[in-house]
Amino acid sequence: MEPVVQFDHVTKNYGSQVAVDDLNLSIEAGKFVTLLGPSGCGKSTSLRMLGGFEMPTSGRILLSGKDVTRVPPNKRNVNIVFQDYALFPHMNVAKNIAFGLELKGLDNKSIHRRVSELLELVQLQDYANRLPNELSGGQRQRVALMRALAPDPDVLLLDEPLSALDAKLRQQMQIELKAIQEKTGKTFMFVTHDQEEALTMSDTIVVMNNGRIEQMGDPSTLYGRPGSVFVANFIGETNLLRSTVLGAEGNLTALDWNGITIKADQGGLSPKAGEHLYVVLRPESIHCSATEPTSGNRIKGKIRQRVFKGNHTSLAVEVGDGAVLNTLVHPGDVAQLAGDDIWVGWKPETATVIPDRHAHR
Amino acid sequence: MRSLFSDAPRVTLTAIYWAFIFYLLLPLTLMMAMSFKDANFVAFPIGEWTLDWYAKVLQDKQFLEACLYSIMIAAATTLAATVLGVWIAMLIVAEGIKGQVIIFALACLPAVVPGMISAISLRIFISTIDMPTGTAAIILGHTVHAVPFVVVMALTRLRSMPGNLVDAARDLGADSFVAFLRVTLPYLGPALFGGMIFCVLLSIDDFVRTFFLGGYRPTLPMLIFAKVQGGMSPEINAMATLVLVVTAAVGLYAEYLTRRARTR
Repeated sequence: MEPVVQFDHVTKNYGSQVAVDDLNLSIEAGKFVTLLGPSGCGKSTSLRMLGGFEMPTSGRILLSGKDVTRVPPNKRNVNIVFQDYALFPHMNVAKNIAFGLELKGLDNKSIHRRVSELLELVQLQDYANRLPNELSGGQRQRVALMRALAPDPDVLLLDEPLSALDAKLRQQMQIELKAIQEKTGKTFMFVTHDQEEALTMSDTIVVMNNGRIEQMGDPSTLYGRPGSVFVANFIGETNLLRSTVLGAEGNLTALDWNGITIKADQGGLSPKAGEHLYVVLRPESIHCSATEPTSGNRIKGKIRQRVFKGNHTSLAVEVGDGAVLNTLVHPGDVAQLAGDDIWVGWKPETATVIPDRHAHR
Repeated sequence: MRSLFSDAPRVTLTAIYWAFIFYLLLPLTLMMAMSFKDANFVAFPIGEWTLDWYAKVLQDKQFLEACLYSIMIAAATTLAATVLGVWIAMLIVAEGIKGQVIIFALACLPAVVPGMISAISLRIFISTIDMPTGTAAIILGHTVHAVPFVVVMALTRLRSMPGNLVDAARDLGADSFVAFLRVTLPYLGPALFGGMIFCVLLSIDDFVRTFFLGGYRPTLPMLIFAKVQGGMSPEINAMATLVLVVTAAVGLYAEYLTRRARTR
């Protein structure tokens, strides 16, 4: 199937600064795709280029197979949900949503039908005559979403739309956004710097850094098998163990970490003995116990810090000389870890190795 | 310890404030009081009170015509100044236009040039281009004077406008002109309304420019001036009082409306 959006060698410079660097990206129709990265990584610029508000310095952007690189925003079949919603303050909710429909030249009856249909989708039927400043943050968010969906765009672009909401509402809206995406079957292109948002909603996450794609994949792949130190650090909490390869053992690799021999999944690499690699070990993969585990990687350590987090307690465990592993313990298991001397262990296949880019320089 | 002297600055300030208010209001009060005097001379004491002068003013054809003429000029001035002012303000906030500071400075200049200088130069200008004195010349002069006020008011509002409102309109299919009409202009609404009322009051009040640019048909200030030349009479007081009350009411109402719109 033809991708609905294609970035074809797109580069955007601001003076000597490169915002987007030779971006190649295809997005399949009907998917929830998230561009994830720190501020200044080029994700918002990419979105604005697709919306028509920025012109690429070079390269082409295709929308449903047509080259739209030089097409002005009002002639492209994409709509944006802006970060601060940009609702028209002098128009009520219904008028805001109808704006794009009127400009499409629809007759009043169809406009009315479409508006009430959309209001129903987000349960705002009773708010049609309210002005934007008479709505709560979450309601404004929904109106902005419906206004952008109303003209039936090929792709809906969302520019960090949840960042203005408080934590609780943000989680609610994540679920609602995903539900609306599934219900409407629209292609959503979502931009965020919040890895949790990306993991919750996306079919595909595109991690960007310095104007380039760092890694692209579905959430569980990115979380479980990060392709680089940057991705491992950016998505979720992680322990990065810089280790030296000792040799392969089947699918596993034996490594030396601070004088301790550990095993980890090869993660698609074929490590050679003596090579420096990072082992990615998620806190929740580590099991803590008072007695020595019988199998897998195991190290004796001392608890240096306990932080109560409600549904879990996170521990900083010192192992060997100065090295610290961050891990977490569920409430039921805290009691047996009264003393500071504990064992930490993990199954070798839950840890994976990633290349150490700096070693090659 | 508090003493009489530690209170002195505060007491002095308060006294100066009230003295100023008194000084400000006394001439107006006197003018209004005299308009009710049942005698031909503007002087104390006021023996009998009457509303006759008002009845006379309201039947005075000259006065009513001058009022109408002033209002017509004010309306034309306001229309022209608003269109020009908004256009200049849009230029100043637009991206990618050079010399915006210079445009702003030039647009504001007429507000600070002394009325006399402005009037003389306008008179020289219209005679250079062979424009006759009269209505068109007056409107031209008043417009030049009113534009800066519209520019400043529109600019203030434009600068507080969220940048992506226009982007959102464009994104939803509006070209630049439709976006301006349907989003920018309504957003400017309250500021424009205030600016327009200001234009009306400036134009009705203007004497110097009108005097230099006008023809034989008198505007309201010119008529009052001519009447004062012929000697003071309570009729003039009644006329001035009427003008004062109406303009004050319009100004206050405009302020009330813009305030309400701003808090919305």
